[in-house]
Amino acid sequence: MRAKPVRVKIISYAALIFIIALIQSTVLESISIFNIKPNLLLIFIISVALLGSNIEGAVTGFLCGLTQDMLSGRVIGFYALLGLYLGLGIALINKRLYKENVLVAIFTTFVSSIIYEFAVYFFVNVFKGSLELIFPFRYIILPEAVYNSAVSIVIFLIVLKINHWSEELERLSRRY
Amino acid sequence: MRFVKNKHFILLTVTVAILIIIGLSARKNSKINTVSNVVTVALSPFQEFINYLGDRVEGAAKYFQDIEALSQENEALKVRISELEKEVKELSDYREKNKELKEALNIKDQFSDVEFLGANIIAKDMGNWFHTFTIDRGIADGVTVDSAVITKDGLVGRVISTDLFTSKVITIIDEDSTVSARVSKTRDLVFVKGDLQLKNQGLCRLDNIFPDMDIAVGDTIETSGLGGIYPKGIIIGKVKEVRRKTNDLNRYAIIEPAVDFKRLEEVFVLESKNNKDNYEKVGEDNK
Repeated sequence: MRAKPVRVKIISYAALIFIIALIQSTVLESISIFNIKPNLLLIFIISVALLGSNIEGAVTGFLCGLTQDMLSGRVIGFYALLGLYLGLGIALINKRLYKENVLVAIFTTFVSSIIYEFAVYFFVNVFKGSLELIFPFRYIILPEAVYNSAVSIVIFLIVLKINHWSEELERLSRRY
Repeated sequence: MRFVKNKHFILLTVTVAILIIIGLSARKNSKINTVSNVVTVALSPFQEFINYLGDRVEGAAKYFQDIEALSQENEALKVRISELEKEVKELSDYREKNKELKEALNIKDQFSDVEFLGANIIAKDMGNWFHTFTIDRGIADGVTVDSAVITKDGLVGRVISTDLFTSKVITIIDEDSTVSARVSKTRDLVFVKGDLQLKNQGLCRLDNIFPDMDIAVGDTIETSGLGGIYPKGIIIGKVKEVRRKTNDLNRYAIIEPAVDFKRLEEVFVLESKNNKDNYEKVGEDNK
């Protein structure tokens, strides 16, 4: 009985990752603006890490990254490692933020998207010897960060709802 | 404090483990990549379904708009067909002649031992950096890594990894793609490369232009067959613009691929019929 709230959270997160990965890989192209599409899995990692514990953030980041690796990556583990550190990093600072505020989520998504996408660009291109900063920032990273911030409202509220739900269940299970 | 240290140790171990996995899976035909079957096999039916739905919705919306345009187009096409029929008759004569001559000269046709495998695109790359996509054919259908992928218009790219029922294809406009090519008119050897800045416009760039090379806007570029991945003579595209960096010694060109990458839905994978065990051969195109 006691494990149930956690189980609810795990199952709903897993279902969300599945649905988001599906959307991300298929229909998202049709809502891209200036050929840039938002990164829903990234927003999901950020939302979960913002509301949860260190372990939650790290594990969710890892699993989301791994899903992306398997579906559209070149190697296994690249996005998983980045996701792990992103989730962990945000989960570590979330105690200092008023975390249930949507504006905080939007701001965190904006900043993290920039850092994350720069990291992806850096690690992909660092050994090719052609690191440019202005073009990728201006035409890919910045538009994506703005788009991500906008979409983060929806995903953050869904994750917040799941969190409230599992807290409620936890309180109920404690009472008995 | 001991707990903190313990956590750091766990994090370090996990990081190193993932780094090792990255290293191992970066190798060609690495066995580790088979774990991606876990997700691709589970998701591919859903992706196919969504793709199918999308096509139907688009089709239904178009149906009513198109009726008038179609009847006009039908008339125009009928005229065109009669023209083409005449041309086909002429060309089939040439084909026979060509065949005889080729047999006489003993030229090996690179297409003769190739099988065309039709495939649908069911997923796109998740991020904004790369231009890869997933097709609904995999190891079970006989797709092998490094097979060329084409459409009726021209070259699309090549297969970079295969799962059980799906494969990932890297397109020629992706930054990591290099194709050895020739200018059809002059037979000069060039390279067609993907470029991050041109990718979103569906264009790619042409490098290795020598100073004395005669290249102009509108020239057709085709694969050279060097490197062993792409068969010879597949159309890549046309030169859109020739740019110079500092002087004539340092030129590059912008290529408009014959394939429209934004509206790509179905592709063909070229599989060789007899040397299927040969796919581990690493070509120079694969750098």
